Amino acid sequence: MSCLFLGVAASAGGAQAAAVPQIASQQELVTLQHVAGVSASPGGPVQETVAADRPITRERTVLPVLSAVIDNSVDTQGQLWLQVRLPGRVLAQKTPPATGWITASSMQTSTTPWHLVVDLGARRVLVYDAGVRVRSYAAVVGKSSTPTPTGEYFVEENVQMAPGAPGAPFALATSDRSSVLHEFEGGPGEIAIHGIENLGGTLGTAESHGCIRLATSAITWIAARVGPGVPITIV
Amino acid sequence: MHPKKHPVGRTWKLRLLGLACLSALALLVSDALAAQPPVGLGTDGAFAVLAGQTVTNTGPSTINGNLGVSPGAAVTGFPPGTVNGTIHEADAVASQAQLDLTTAYNDAAGRTPFATVPADLTGLTLTPGVYKNASALALTGSLTLNAQGNPSAVFIFQAGSTLITGSGSSVNLINGAQPCNVFWQVGSSATLGTTTSFVGDILALSSVTLNNGVTLDGRALARNGSVTLINDTITAAQCATPVTTTGTGSGSGTGSGTTTGTGGGKGNGTALLHATPSSLTRPGSHACVSKAFKVTVSGKLIRRVVFSFAGHVVARRTDAPFTTSVDPGTGSHTLKAHVTFSGATPAKTLHIPVRSCNAADRSVKPIAGSGGFTG
Repeated sequence: MSCLFLGVAASAGGAQAAAVPQIASQQELVTLQHVAGVSASPGGPVQETVAADRPITRERTVLPVLSAVIDNSVDTQGQLWLQVRLPGRVLAQKTPPATGWITASSMQTSTTPWHLVVDLGARRVLVYDAGVRVRSYAAVVGKSSTPTPTGEYFVEENVQMAPGAPGAPFALATSDRSSVLHEFEGGPGEIAIHGIENLGGTLGTAESHGCIRLATSAITWIAARVGPGVPITIV
Repeated sequence: MHPKKHPVGRTWKLRLLGLACLSALALLVSDALAAQPPVGLGTDGAFAVLAGQTVTNTGPSTINGNLGVSPGAAVTGFPPGTVNGTIHEADAVASQAQLDLTTAYNDAAGRTPFATVPADLTGLTLTPGVYKNASALALTGSLTLNAQGNPSAVFIFQAGSTLITGSGSSVNLINGAQPCNVFWQVGSSATLGTTTSFVGDILALSSVTLNNGVTLDGRALARNGSVTLINDTITAAQCATPVTTTGTGSGSGTGSGTTTGTGGGKGNGTALLHATPSSLTRPGSHACVSKAFKVTVSGKLIRRVVFSFAGHVVARRTDAPFTTSVDPGTGSHTLKAHVTFSGATPAKTLHIPVRSCNAADRSVKPIAGSGGFTG
């Protein structure tokens, strides 16, 4: 069953134009209806919680689903447990695990055909629709002193920025967090894919604090299509 | 964003089954459709609950039918539980019921031919027959049993080991299917998750556990082990006698009417829900629809039908034909037809799960907010 949802094989590194991993045609998502307790394994003790709403937009939290299990041996009710990717670090708190298990009760599932790949070596953002690359945009990525962390992440929020805000007009707040900046501009060092307005920089270079900047036309196109929960692979 | 939304369980059904499994089911299902007589329950027909060792109840469970234990003798939790029948603790009646249960269990286990089904039955719509998984059976959402208009249609499920349902799971009967004709032969133990709405007689080799708030329209029968209940309702399903009608359309009929209310009296009404294309209710196919589909309710003594889809009323009909066209939209939803009858027949709600082939609205709307990103 993993073939549908685990089609992205993580690729380490990124100094060179990376081999783009194979992208699954769709990704299962779950929208939280309430605060979710997170366990390290199905039926295990709750070790973390995930808020039902996101901090910036107050929209419902949407998480990618990695796998599922019905484990009656640990849960006498035979509940369906979902392994999900978790939001990133919150300001002034410890770094949460990247994945965990939640129960599926009262949750809403959905699917998305979208997937973003950030190729740090090529300094481009690739947009996939149903497993097919449909757009490729030049980007500004993190410089060597404040690199953009690689790995598997997802869009936490789709934010419309004020016209004068750094990174306007739109920002996709990701679950990725800077490994260098644990606090930045009052935030937890959250890596976003956003516009270039009011920031500047040259597309195709590595000169950001870790965020990925795109031309206004590019981020506008993406923000009109890519919503919370959409997976992001940074290689 | 507006991704394709559907309740938890539907997608996992697809995941757990896999296309290969569905294809195999489609090929095999015809073999399972040989008409089956019901499993003979003998004296178990009067029992709603029967255990080999103990019956343990917590909370105000309601048992409509007899409760028995044999060869064990421990029955606890009544009250607060209520038994609308007789409790038989290690007496001759319970002993005979256990003997009859062994016969019924072996009968159900030996039925052939059978169709091999996936372990997770969620989302399937099955027609009468024998369905088996040599390993186990599970349900995390809805299973629909379609009698195709034959109230005597029999459904037999054979689980190699466990039968497990997730919280809120349900077994839905359409087109005349009756709870009294559904049988679950369980090779080890059955566990019904919280608030499961289940149908049929569970014949378990070991134990039967009903978690909080389960409704079982059938029987919980355990050969060697225990039956455990928590604030549940169990009604020993009795078959309704087929309805006969007069030429004037004023129906009459008789039914057992003992506990289930499915029986009748004068003025029994009937209702069947049909869909066009028929693939909507074809067993195993679970085909999606891309354009408007037609649904029709036919039957006797129908006074009014209210059609709803995705939780919204789409049509009200007080005269035949009781039909309407429905736009499937996007995602997965349930088409419901709430039918009220002339006379004393209780209203009923018929339903069909519908999965749209249409892509969801893929536009998303960014929400205003401040940044604080690393820039």
